[in-house]
Amino acid sequence: MRNSFLIASREFMDRWTSKSYQLMLVVGPILILVFTYFLLKFGDQGKSSLRVLIADPTDLFGNKITSNPTRAVEYSFYTTYLDFEEFRDGNRFKEFDAFVEINEKILNNKTVKLFYRERPSMEVKIKLKFELERRVEEIMIDQFTDLSIDKYRQIKQPLNIDFLNVYDPKNQAENERGWVGLFFGAIILLFIGLFGMTILRSTSKDKSNRVVEVLLASVRSSELMLGKIIGIGLSAVFQLLVWAFFIIVGLLIFKEYIFTDIFDPSNYEGMQFATDVKNDILLNSSASRYNMFIELIYHRINYGVMLPVFFMFFAASYFFYASFFMTIGATAGSESDGQQFIIPIFLLLFLSFYAGFEAIYAPESFLAVFFAYFPFTAAMTTLINVSIGVTTSGIFQIIFSFLFLLFNAFVFLAIAARLFKNGILNSGHRLNWKTIFQWLKKQ
Amino acid sequence: MIHIDQLSKSFNRKPALSDVSLTIPSGQIYGLLGPNGAGKTTLIRIMNQILKADQGIIQVDGKLLSANHWKDFGYLPEERGLYKSMNVNDTLVFLARLRGLTKYDAQASVRFWLEKFEISSWAKTKIEALSKGMAQKVQFIAAVVHQPNYLILDEPLSGFDPINVELILSELKSMRADGKTIILSTHNMKSVEEICDHVALLHKSKLIAEGKVHALREKALNGEFIVRFSGNMIALANALWTEFELIDTKEIGENRFQIVVRQRGERTFEELASNLMGKLKLEAIEKRLPSMQEVFLELIAKEEVKNEE
Repeated sequence: MRNSFLIASREFMDRWTSKSYQLMLVVGPILILVFTYFLLKFGDQGKSSLRVLIADPTDLFGNKITSNPTRAVEYSFYTTYLDFEEFRDGNRFKEFDAFVEINEKILNNKTVKLFYRERPSMEVKIKLKFELERRVEEIMIDQFTDLSIDKYRQIKQPLNIDFLNVYDPKNQAENERGWVGLFFGAIILLFIGLFGMTILRSTSKDKSNRVVEVLLASVRSSELMLGKIIGIGLSAVFQLLVWAFFIIVGLLIFKEYIFTDIFDPSNYEGMQFATDVKNDILLNSSASRYNMFIELIYHRINYGVMLPVFFMFFAASYFFYASFFMTIGATAGSESDGQQFIIPIFLLLFLSFYAGFEAIYAPESFLAVFFAYFPFTAAMTTLINVSIGVTTSGIFQIIFSFLFLLFNAFVFLAIAARLFKNGILNSGHRLNWKTIFQWLKKQ
Repeated sequence: MIHIDQLSKSFNRKPALSDVSLTIPSGQIYGLLGPNGAGKTTLIRIMNQILKADQGIIQVDGKLLSANHWKDFGYLPEERGLYKSMNVNDTLVFLARLRGLTKYDAQASVRFWLEKFEISSWAKTKIEALSKGMAQKVQFIAAVVHQPNYLILDEPLSGFDPINVELILSELKSMRADGKTIILSTHNMKSVEEICDHVALLHKSKLIAEGKVHALREKALNGEFIVRFSGNMIALANALWTEFELIDTKEIGENRFQIVVRQRGERTFEELASNLMGKLKLEAIEKRLPSMQEVFLELIAKEEVKNEE
């Protein structure tokens, strides 16, 4: 074990001193934060600063839009006729970002034109549509019916059907949370893919530069294999932790200093009201989903359970997949050989995503249950199940799934050790299944 | 002492070693000779525990070879290999620690060897920046850095210039003087004659000869003599008459020659001397020991004939 530790340390230091690793350590989280920044910036664009002029020559709206305005749009009224050219070129209108043309036909054709200087974000469009539509509704109720506005709203409200599982009537297991599990699962798969290839390349390199014969004269092949897997795995975990640290710090800075409005729930009060009336457009809007994810990520995921399960499955899946990458690296005739064997492994990695969708959309289906135990997909499926919510029976399922994955990791590491031992000193051949089976049978 | 008993190994049903038994005495330089594919590298890899034998055992100082012996063995493989991206010092410290040295001892030992080979200035140089000869030196140090009792070297002199060949040979002799046992596989017969005490000759997976170098050469004596004299070649022809055959002639000065003659029939060294005396001005007569190259070729040829029969 001492030698495995020495080899693991060397592998770790090899990555650590590699310029590309150091670069990715810093550049990786920066790229993610820059990407997130632009995502938030884009989503935030014009939200609190859009100034809209309502050109309402007949004073149909009565200088009023809503009694509960959102912060995203600021309305002003202009009760004289205004055409878009005058708005575009007139100096006194420069302060406005858009104007809405209201005329008396609106009550018949329910159509208005909105002229903008810069295309508003989807979120702002939805708010504008929502608020103008509600104002037009109020006017129409007043003019054409004897109903009160509250009564009308009550009538208009669509039938709400709650689909509830008889085994989970309180709907504790919410599918939306599953996306967080999918995200965590994707991180595992990303790191397995990246560092699996590192294992393969490192083994092939040791083999091609012949250092492996020197090493095998002082360590057992299984010690060498384990040392390499652990060393490269530690560098993966270290990179993951550094990334997590930088990203968390970055997101906190975003929250506290840059995008304070986005994380303020009061910002979404109007939108929340909109969901109450089941406005379909709003329900399907990116803004609504965005709000939902902030809610999910910050409030509704049990990280006390999620993180330990994440690291357990991360480690077990890494060892499991590493055995395959190590085997290919050790048995391939050259560094370029073995490509044909990588494709099936990556296909199995991608199968995890399919398993993830199955777990989100049909968590009780046969396939979803199968994927929870299938070692190639267990990490992804289990993390989704955990993020959705764990019941008592679910805990046993997770434990069994983990133990089964661990068992498979040991079995495949043992197989990999045999292939490693028999293949590592052979070079220049073309790897094929026949050779693999021969080496597998050989003691 | 290493005792190898009935060792066999095959790859895909092709024998690489067949029932090989030999004893390697301690404190000696032991040469493993044989043509390519004879099984030398397989034997070396089994001794280094890189491969497992199908049959047979190896005992080191009376104990079965095991992982406990890793620290007692040093190995220089034929195909050299080091981590190219590591520097010389880190590589050697890492390999020394794998052989059981503590970090402190490993660093001290690496310093000692780098100074001894006058390459301390390379300590921080990356392996990939070294020339082939420089890398060979580092690889040699990697094999000896942990002061092993048994040193196994596969073609240790290949890739070295004549100066470094001398350096390595003198180092090997010095290690032998310190009581270390050195096992080397080589095709360089001159170095075998120069430094090996014992040799074993492998051919087609079998051991066909084993013994002390001098004894093997003596055994292969073929009745040839080296004669140095002053005089002329006509007088020599008269002296040899039909009893000795002239094999080789070399002029080594003005009217001075060195010849090689081979006896015919039952003629003896004394008869040659008495034939030449008085007819030529003799400087020296000696039995010519066959070179290891000749011994090697003769033994292989004999084995081939035996196999054909």
